[in-house]
Amino acid sequence: MKRRDFLAGSIAAGTAAFAAPSVHGQASATRVLRFVPQANLANLDPIWGTQYVVRNGSALIWDTLYGVDSQLEPKRQMVESEEHSADFKTWTFRLRPGLKFHNGEPVLSKDVVQSLIRWMPRDPLGQLIRARLDALEAVDDRTFRFRLNQPFTKMIFALGKNNTPMAFIMPEAVAKTDSFTQIKPEEVIGSGPMRFKRDEWVPGSKAVFERFADYQPRDEAPDWLSGGKKINFDRIEWNIIPDPATAAGALQNGEVDWWETPIPDLVPVLRRNRNIMVDIADPLGNIGSFRINHLHAPFNDVRVRRAVQMALSQEDYMRAVVGNDEALWKTLPSFFTPGTPAYTEVGGDVLKGPRNIDGAKRLLAESGYSGQPITVLVAQDQAPLKAMGEVTNALLRSLGMTVDFVATDWGTVGQRRASKAPPGQGGWHIFHTWHAGADCIAPASYNAVRANGDGAWFGWPNSPEVEAEIDKWLNAATPADEKAAFDGINKTAMEHVVYIPNGFYLGYQAWRRNVTGITKGPLPFFWGVTKS
Amino acid sequence: MLAYIARRVLATIPVMLIVAFFVFSLLYLAPGDPAAVIAGDQATPQDVERIRASLGLDRPFVVRFTEWLWRIVQGDLGVSIFTNLPVSHMIAQRIEPTTSLMLITIVLAICIAVPMGVVAAWKAGSWIDRAVMAFAVFGFSVPVFVTGYVLAYIFALQLDWLPVQGYTPLSEGFWPFLENLILPAIALGSIYIALIARITRATMLEVLAQDYIRTAKAKGLGSRGILFLHALKNAAVPISTVIGIGIALLIGGAVVTESVFAIPGLGRLTVDAILRRDYPVIQGVVLLFSFVYVLVNLAIDLLYTVFDPRIRY
Repeated sequence: MKRRDFLAGSIAAGTAAFAAPSVHGQASATRVLRFVPQANLANLDPIWGTQYVVRNGSALIWDTLYGVDSQLEPKRQMVESEEHSADFKTWTFRLRPGLKFHNGEPVLSKDVVQSLIRWMPRDPLGQLIRARLDALEAVDDRTFRFRLNQPFTKMIFALGKNNTPMAFIMPEAVAKTDSFTQIKPEEVIGSGPMRFKRDEWVPGSKAVFERFADYQPRDEAPDWLSGGKKINFDRIEWNIIPDPATAAGALQNGEVDWWETPIPDLVPVLRRNRNIMVDIADPLGNIGSFRINHLHAPFNDVRVRRAVQMALSQEDYMRAVVGNDEALWKTLPSFFTPGTPAYTEVGGDVLKGPRNIDGAKRLLAESGYSGQPITVLVAQDQAPLKAMGEVTNALLRSLGMTVDFVATDWGTVGQRRASKAPPGQGGWHIFHTWHAGADCIAPASYNAVRANGDGAWFGWPNSPEVEAEIDKWLNAATPADEKAAFDGINKTAMEHVVYIPNGFYLGYQAWRRNVTGITKGPLPFFWGVTKS
Repeated sequence: MLAYIARRVLATIPVMLIVAFFVFSLLYLAPGDPAAVIAGDQATPQDVERIRASLGLDRPFVVRFTEWLWRIVQGDLGVSIFTNLPVSHMIAQRIEPTTSLMLITIVLAICIAVPMGVVAAWKAGSWIDRAVMAFAVFGFSVPVFVTGYVLAYIFALQLDWLPVQGYTPLSEGFWPFLENLILPAIALGSIYIALIARITRATMLEVLAQDYIRTAKAKGLGSRGILFLHALKNAAVPISTVIGIGIALLIGGAVVTESVFAIPGLGRLTVDAILRRDYPVIQGVVLLFSFVYVLVNLAIDLLYTVFDPRIRY
């Protein structure tokens, strides 16, 4: 072969390789779903690590006794039947027949009992059950029973709720692990519709789930975490793509099928692509939080908390966090999620209408605030929190307050917010976060609204009035009683300024048009989804 | 020579110990709490505290450092706080993508930058020289992530020639492997090409002004022979030094490139670990990087003897 012929052949081959129809966009078969989750799936122990992404992955691997539907009603999942005594002190449950773990072993009552024993210390509702517990026992292989020393009406809700940690059912041997110790990766033996492929797991990059053939879905149609969890894929691959622009490019190029959390800035680009669908991800959305430390001056004086509350403009926060897409946010004179039975505006007038800066300044002066620095912890690596922090900086300065703006990362905020030290000595006055709307529908498991002092969430608000209203909800026997309790909680928590909700906002999800069956919900539901 | 290599390899031990001490100390002093990240946002302070205790993070510095060092001596990098996987396993999962990316980048950069620098020096003052220098300034000035996004936009989204992101192991075929690395290698290599091209040009200009080059020309040697046989070989020592130093540059750039192109390499592992305060992983990766850097320096020192026989150890 002459050199020129060789070169010509090489160039032709190279050109052909580049000009060949792209295969990377159509590489996967319709039996594989490629999903970009909200964050890295760094572990698979939903009791030990309660991040949402862990919960979402775990919902594929493990099943629950009950599952909430889109009406927020818990429905039977692994349970076949249940009964309770008239005084709500004895609860007896019977499991469905034929349930199996991924190692082929049957799901028995002893597994359920141990799983619940592990779950209870980590969950606020579980702790309430535990505090009332005389015994939790396996009656036979398919029957288990709670015996309580006080009535507990919220048992089914507790076992089926979707906020973290969910009561997933694991094999007894695995569930014997301490609640505060992580199970080993080889112990991820599920009871749900998909089996975790440990050998293909690259934390930070990829997690693979394969269909579990022996899973027994219910006959009912799937509805959120309830009904028949029938999976139409042999494999579901989670591709962790931390950079939003890259994830958008991968979706446009057909390298992935479904992106859980596109950022609002990129949504117009995605909408212009005819192969991509964009819709609201979770109708329950998120509630932004202006979290205050109640332990230290000046915020240990309710007048100072109220001053900030009456000056705070939720619109400013929402425009900073979400932008000008008004379909994505609204103001929220409530601690509870709009569109749910919990929602109430009683006591929320202080967050409505024009903001009262002059009144706030007067109240501040009355409190004796003398210009001491206000330490605001602002996580720069979380876009919504960075935006909230900047609005807060401007708000406090507009009230004449001195701001010590601590720009840091979320890991540091997570550590420092636990400090009860005075703000000048490693403590804090204010930090921001958000609460998933799905978490803000049941007061007992909604840590942020609790006001039980030392036992409360960061900021340690202390208000017996708020706690009394929460107790009323816990003991409510009728929807009307619950409604009255929600009104009471909202009113007292607003008066005490447990924290300041700074608005309600939604997020988008996006997927390739050839994928159907994607629903809106607080987590991605893979059952019922198909790909053509 | 062998004695020299042995001495240098032995010298890495105290260097690694010092690195280990500093890494551990810095992480100990740095704010942040993995227990808070693990517990999630809804966890109570009591939950966070119990997780911290279960991870042993509440123990004194000396105890933790001694235990860690003892495990390192035994070849055990520990277990990730978050994944519960051995750090050595996580590094092994990530080493192929990063090594592949860096090797392709280095080869690409040398193949492009050295001829560019040589030609620029040979044609000093001409439009070719100015074009090469303009390219070098551009390469230095544009951040890797910008280059990466632009390349992905053009070659992946608009032309659909290459994938936007991801990595395919070499075991699954050469082209799938290569197509995922072309854009990242160009993006990462742009600064490196600029650096090597500039150094090559400057060194070659110096060498080309030497008497023996004039003698070679007087003897009637062709341009190619003068440039590549006589001048380049004598310019190779500073160029190889810069290539070696540039590997540190590449390690830093790989962190960004791997994020932009979603390559599951050591760079992303490091960033993820830092953001979550996964101390064993951070310590393991930093130790590995420092070890590689020490070895690269040794390799460069040994290369000097190849390019310049007067150098002896």
